Parts: sequence; C-alpha cells; structure tokens
Amino acid sequence: MTAHIEILNVSKRYGALTVLDGLSLSIKANEFMVFLGPSGCGKSTLLRMIAGLESVDEGTISINGQRIDTLPPGKRDIAMVFQSYALYPHMTVADNMAFGLRNINMPADVISARVAEAARMLEITHLLERKPGQLSGGQRQRVAIGRAIVKEPKAFLFDEPLSNLDAALRVRTRVELAQLRNRVRSTMVFVTHDQIEAMTLADRIVVMNNRKIEQIGTPMEIYSQPASRFVATFVGSPTMNFLRVSLSNQNGFARATLPDGTELQTSIPLESIDGSEHSIGIRAEAIKRANGAAATTTGKVDVVERLGDRTLLYTRLREGSIIVAEDIGNSRVAIGDEIALSLDGMRAHLFDSSGRAWHNQEASHG
Amino acid sequence: MAEAAIPGSGSAASASVRQAVPDVNAPIWRNALFVAPYLFFFLTLLVVPLFWGVWLSLHKADAFGIGRFVGLDNYFRLFRDKIFLQVIGNTFYFVLLTVPALAVIGLLLALALNRNARTAAALRAVYFASSVLSVTIVTLIWRTVFIGNFGLLATVYGWFGATAPAFLSDPKLAMIGIAIATVWWCIGLPMMLFLSALQQVPREIYEAASLDNASRWGTLWHITLPSIRRTFVLVIIIEIVLQFQLFGQAWLMTKGGPNNASKPIVLYIYEATFIKWDLGLGAAASEILFILIMIAALAQYFISRRKGEEG
Amino acid sequence: MSSVSSGMIGRSTGDRIVLALTIGMAIVMMAPIAWVVALSLKDNKELMTDMNSVFHAPYTIQNYINILATSSVFRWILNSVIVSGVLTILTLVLSSLAGYGFARLNFPFRNALFVLVLLGLAVPEQAVLIARHQLFSWLKFHNTYHGLILPGLAAPFGVFLMTQYFRAIPRELDEAALLDNASRFKIFWKVLLPLTLPAQATLGIFTFLSSWNDYFWPLISGTKKEMYTLTIGIASTQTNFAQSEGLGFLMSQAVFAGAPILILYLFFQKYIVTAVSGAAVR
Repeated sequence: MTAHIEILNVSKRYGALTVLDGLSLSIKANEFMVFLGPSGCGKSTLLRMIAGLESVDEGTISINGQRIDTLPPGKRDIAMVFQSYALYPHMTVADNMAFGLRNINMPADVISARVAEAARMLEITHLLERKPGQLSGGQRQRVAIGRAIVKEPKAFLFDEPLSNLDAALRVRTRVELAQLRNRVRSTMVFVTHDQIEAMTLADRIVVMNNRKIEQIGTPMEIYSQPASRFVATFVGSPTMNFLRVSLSNQNGFARATLPDGTELQTSIPLESIDGSEHSIGIRAEAIKRANGAAATTTGKVDVVERLGDRTLLYTRLREGSIIVAEDIGNSRVAIGDEIALSLDGMRAHLFDSSGRAWHNQEASHG
Repeated sequence: MAEAAIPGSGSAASASVRQAVPDVNAPIWRNALFVAPYLFFFLTLLVVPLFWGVWLSLHKADAFGIGRFVGLDNYFRLFRDKIFLQVIGNTFYFVLLTVPALAVIGLLLALALNRNARTAAALRAVYFASSVLSVTIVTLIWRTVFIGNFGLLATVYGWFGATAPAFLSDPKLAMIGIAIATVWWCIGLPMMLFLSALQQVPREIYEAASLDNASRWGTLWHITLPSIRRTFVLVIIIEIVLQFQLFGQAWLMTKGGPNNASKPIVLYIYEATFIKWDLGLGAAASEILFILIMIAALAQYFISRRKGEEG
Repeated sequence: MSSVSSGMIGRSTGDRIVLALTIGMAIVMMAPIAWVVALSLKDNKELMTDMNSVFHAPYTIQNYINILATSSVFRWILNSVIVSGVLTILTLVLSSLAGYGFARLNFPFRNALFVLVLLGLAVPEQAVLIARHQLFSWLKFHNTYHGLILPGLAAPFGVFLMTQYFRAIPRELDEAALLDNASRFKIFWKVLLPLTLPAQATLGIFTFLSSWNDYFWPLISGTKKEMYTLTIGIASTQTNFAQSEGLGFLMSQAVFAGAPILILYLFFQKYIVTAVSGAAVR
C-alpha cells in the first residue's frame, strides 16, 4: 500500500490571516518527503490538511488520483504520528495499537497478528500490556509508530515526532526511522524544523517559509543549490556567510568585489544575473585558512569554536564584517590572531535583494 | 489555475463540492446534540423561571393564580414595609458579623496549618469536617449548645455559678448566636481557599527571603500576606454571596425572632411566598436579593479576571 | 508562621504555641459534636433531671435501638439516597456530554450558549425558586421524586467544570482517534471520558453533598412527611425539641443522620475538599 499524494493550489486561512497561500506539491509513491521550515511557516498545517484535521479552504489534495480533501480523516487511509505521541493514556499499548483496527471491525485474529508483528518489528513486545504512563519517552515514541504501522496505511504522516526526545535518543531514533523506512514500503511525510533530521531522512525536502514553498529538492540540491537566500540561511551549520558585493564582468562570468576590496571569481554567467544590491553567500567550508599565494584576504580572529573534527574561526575582516571560516580540528589559532583566508568563489552563491539565488555552474552539475 | 488541471475524478471538483468538505471543526447542528439534554433543563428550569420571576414580581399573584399587572407596586409595598427594611438591615448585619470573622479566622488557621506534618493534616480535616454537615444538623447541634437551662453553654456556665447569655431568645443576641453557629459551620471553606493560595506561593521566594535574612514576621508581612492578597478579596466576596443567602440557620434556630430581630431576606421571601402566599411580593423581594448578590458576583468575576491576566 | 520552611529548621517555641492554640481551638470546635453524641447516649429521663449526668455513666444505646424501631429516619434516608443518587448520576451524564460538546465540538451559537451557561452560574437559587415552584405546581410535580430531582439538573456548575476539564485534555488525542476512524461519540465515550474520572469524582461528590444537604427546595416541594428528605425530616423533629420523644432520642437521630456524611468525608476527604473549594471559586 502506498500513495502518490498530489497537492494542488492549496490555501488555508483563519479569518483574515492566511496561513498557506496557493501551494502545489507532488509526493511520489514510496517517497520520504520532509517539510522543513521555521515554526509558524505552515508546514504542520499542511500536514494536518493531508490528514484531514484542518479543512482545505482552496485547492485539492488527492491520493493516487482520488480526491481526499472531501473525506473525513478516518477514511483517508493514512496514519499519523503526533509530536506528543497522543497515546490513549488509559489503554494498554496493545489496545492503543488495536483501537483503530477495531473501529473498522477488523477480525480479532487479524488485529492480534498485526499488533504482534508490529510489536516484534519495533521490539516492544514486552511492553504490550503496559499503559503509556509506565513507558519512557522513547518507548512511547515506538508505540506511536506501532499504532501507525498496524493500520498498514497508504501514507505515514509524522508531525515533529522526535522533538520531545532528548538529544541522544533523538539521534538513535532517527537512525531507526531510516531503517524502518526500508522495511515499511510506504509514502512518508515528515514535518520538522530540524535541518539535520531533514537532511538525513529525506528523499526530498520541501523548504517552507512564510506560507509558501521556498524550494523542493533532494537534500544535496537544497544544500548546494539553495533556491533562495532563506533556504541558504536555514539549511547548513554554521549559517552561510553573507557579504555585500559589487559585480563586474570577467570573460562573461561574474566577479564579486567584497567590502574589503577582495575580488572573487565565480563561474556564474553575468548576463543571467539581474536584480540589485547583490550579496555573496559562502559557506564556512569554502573559507579555509591559507598562507602565501593562496590567501585572498586577511582578518582577525574574534571567536574560536572547536567542534573536534574541525574548528570554526569567527574572523573580522579589515572593513569590519565577520565571517566564519573553517580550519582543521587541532587548529592552533587563538583569539586575536591575524590570519590569512582563502575564499573559494567557485563554491559561492549570489543573491539579490529579493533573495533570489544564482549558483556556480560546477555546483549545478554536481 | 484552470479547473481542468485538477487531477483524478476532476469533473465534479468545483465550488459545489467545496460546500460538502467535512471540516472537522466546522459548526454542525448535529454536534449540538451533546449539549442539548443539559440545555433543555437549563432553559426550562433556570432561564425561563428567572424571567418568569421578574414577570411575577410585576403582578398580583397568590396561591390560586396570577392576577392583574400591577407594575412596580410590589416593590413599593416592599419598601413601605418596615419589616422588609429591617430584614435587609438584619442581613447586612449578619454579613458584617460573619464574613470578616470567616476571612480572618480562616486565614489564621491556614497560616498555622500550612505545613506537611501529620498533625497539621489531621487538624485541617477537623476544621473542615463541620462543612459537610447539613444545616439541619448544625442548627440542632447549636440549639443544644445555646438552649435555655440545659444547653452545653448553660451547663458550662453553671459550673461557675454564672448564667449563660440567652443567645436565641434575646433580640440583641439572636443574630450573634446564629453568626457563631454559621462561622463554626463554614470555616472550612475559607481555610482551604487560603491554604491552596499559600501553597501556590513559589518556594524560591521564601528561600530568597531567608538568604536576605528576613525575620519570620518580616517574611509573613512582606511576602506571604501580599502574595495572597487577591485570595483574601476573593474569599470576602464568595462569603458575602454565600452569607447573603442566610436562611436555614435563622429559620431553624429562632424562626427569625424574637420580634423579627434575626429575620434575613430569604426568610422574608419564604414567609411572604410560601406561608402568606403573596407570590408577587415574594418575587419582588427575590429580585432585590438577586440584584444585591449580582453586585457581589460581578465583583468576583472582575477580580478572578484580573487574576488571569496577571497570572 | 512562615511555615513553608518548617521542614528545614527545627520546631521553635512560636511553632509550639501556634500548634497548641490550633489543637485547643479544634477541641473547642469539636465540643458541640461531642456534646450531641454524649446526649444521644443518655437515657431521656435521666437527662431531664440532671444535665450533668452527661459526663458520667450509665450510657445507653437505647435511643439508637428506638430509631430502628420507630423513627421515620429510614424512610427519609431512603428518599435522600434516591434523590441525591439519581441527581448525581444524571448531573454527571448531562455535564459530561455538554462539557465535551462545549469543549470539543463546534455548532452554531456555541460560544453564545456557553456564555449564557456561565451567566447562569451567577443566578442565586432564590431568584428562580418561586417560578419553579409554580411551574411544578401546574405540572403536579410536588411531593414526587422527580419533583425533588429535576431542579438540580439545571445547575450550570457541572457543565462549567467538565468543559474546563475536557479543554485541558490534549486535542491530539481526539485527532489521533479521528484518524483511527472513531466517531465523535466513540471519541467521547472510549477515549476522553475515561480520562475525566477525577473530575467525575469531584463533581459527583459535590453534587451528592449539596443535594443531600439541600434545605430550601425540599422544604417547599416535598411537603408530605413520607416525601421528606433526611435534611427536612431531621428539621421537622426539632419543632418538638426536647419534649415528647426526649432530648437523647432527638440527638441520636441527629447523629444517625450526620454520621454517614462524616464517614464519607473521612474516606473521600481530599476529593470533598477539592470539590467544595473548586465550586466556590469557579
């Protein structure tokens, strides 16, 4: 059982407030799709509209060609895992999982077989007779997923299911979700504000901001070719560096002049660029410590962040702006040091004042 | 987007179908079925009688039926009736006797018993116990305390060769006797309200105060009491509303006597309506009481509102 | 007095004085009850000659035996159990349904109706009593059980309490159940209602207690002796105070009537206190 979900021109309003504004989106069968965005961007609302928990004010949602936005939630053949798990506190784990199946009058032996199979898969068989209150956060999470699995739905919806777990458990559950995904062949839609969850789990990511879709793409497309300045800012850690630049022509490609006078050559055709007030965006990993001829500019180190495998250097350029550069894990650089940096213009992005993005040609091939 | 772009069944997907979309939160008449049974009783036995009562108060009515419309005549009759003016005075006097006592004693008990020790829990249970008794039993108990020459009070006074004050037969003392019984009966509620307010004062404040070398009196005066000030006002208002409705104690202990000295408004309403069967007059007196209680209830509403904003 | 810290520091002289005072006051408070219990255990004739005989033997349970033999108390208790019991059950049913409806479902005029119910909280019984009494006269409901029960069903407190309680339950439970194909009634019955048990207990006890102790409506509606509730019945015996049947017998009836509630209080103290204070603050 799997679902191809087609969302077309969907809008949602609460009175005068527009929450979603004419979204269109296609989720392929068996795809793991992640809705990523800051809180309030409408990603949860969109998920709940697929579930039928929010009405669709305009547009349509269909599954496998059949329109479902006119169906009540229970008839859409989808399962949802809630952020708070929403387990029925007074029912045992087994009853929690069986409740939905009993409601459609499934034979008892089929129900118990399905519950047993899901429990085995999630390794919660020993918990079946317990109540949710007796379980740890991670165990509740598994029960919530189990409750979804037994329904064998066409699609699974996850509403920030990992955000109530502590950091270590979140990482473990993330891995388990990825494994589960390989066993349960079904369409999965996953809402999160955590870019790492999105990057690690998704086949494709939908980045949402401010009622609209900013970009749809594979995790690497989102990372290396962010469609807008918002996406570039939201995805990646540390946040991409942005510097105001003026552009000039070098053999038809854009050459960016930084505020401190440094010139960076890109492979972005200049004629493709329009708009005004351009900025260059460049990730820390494309700014390395350098010496001698490789150096493009210099700066003074303000903060040193040691992450173990690498070191982030918050460096103040001559004209005052701060950029984050990357160095090796056991870097010797200390606060106050003057260092030389090499900025890789071929891995940079250009943005105009409206947030539109242009990428280097190499990157678009990779 | 063109309509044709809609996939799937497509053809009927238009505005008319949109009407049928089952918004799980849309207002649907069928949902009202859940509240309908209660609302039936609410409307027939509360809302309708409320307006019926107003209507009655504007008519001449007795046990045999409702007579002609008399306008505000029943109200004029009330305010020409010396006894009615007296019962209003009596009721205010009773409220004045009981409410401050209940609030202050309740607060003192709460302060004394706000601890985790087992003795404190047992004492709290004792002080609240009288609240669960019915007015009938309370008055029976207190009559056997107060009554003439063989009550508990008379017996205790007798040991010292003294004569006990005649709480129920002296016009000056009757209301005080009723007030004593009432405070005894009702002390549990203010105590519990103060206790729950005290328990909501954050512990950190006390710890900060002790780090600041505050004395116990200083802590009480500058921290504990100011933090339960709103509860104090709330208790006062709740008790005003409750004690305004004095009836059973007065009816059962003194019959409102001697010489109407302990007759409250509700007893006046009872006598006018169910003994003299002057329904119009009784209804008019009820409306007066309603207005008095409404004023206090409105005060309570605005104070609990403010609590919500600050909390 | 800043007793919150009593766990951390030892008991001071001040604490001891306060404790002694509260214990002393509690004894004074209980004295009238002890007096009544003592009277109930004395022979009526002996009391007539010497009140001080209360303080020494012989004590007797003859008065209680007489209750079993002669008194109407049993009939009154039965009436009270029927009236308060049925009223409590119906109140729980109506309030739970309405509370769920107001908290979770949408229907036309929902908010206006809820405000109306809230306003009803402020209406004192006296403002509707006379009209209710007339209505029940016309319907010939006086001196019947339903006549004693029905007015209690209009009280808005239960709806208010249950609505608040349902609102505090996470909505995601409803949504999970909706996705589990449960109907609205099934969500109410199978998913949410079991979670409201504490509120049911609070409301049930409060309703039972106030109905059991109600004095005004039964006084004007159940006027026949065989329809007296216990509260009214005991009151009716007070008119022949210390006369024909004797003081001791009268007191034994009071004890007999008051004891069940006090015992109930001992067992459900926490719920009763919560119920009564909750109802007061609203």
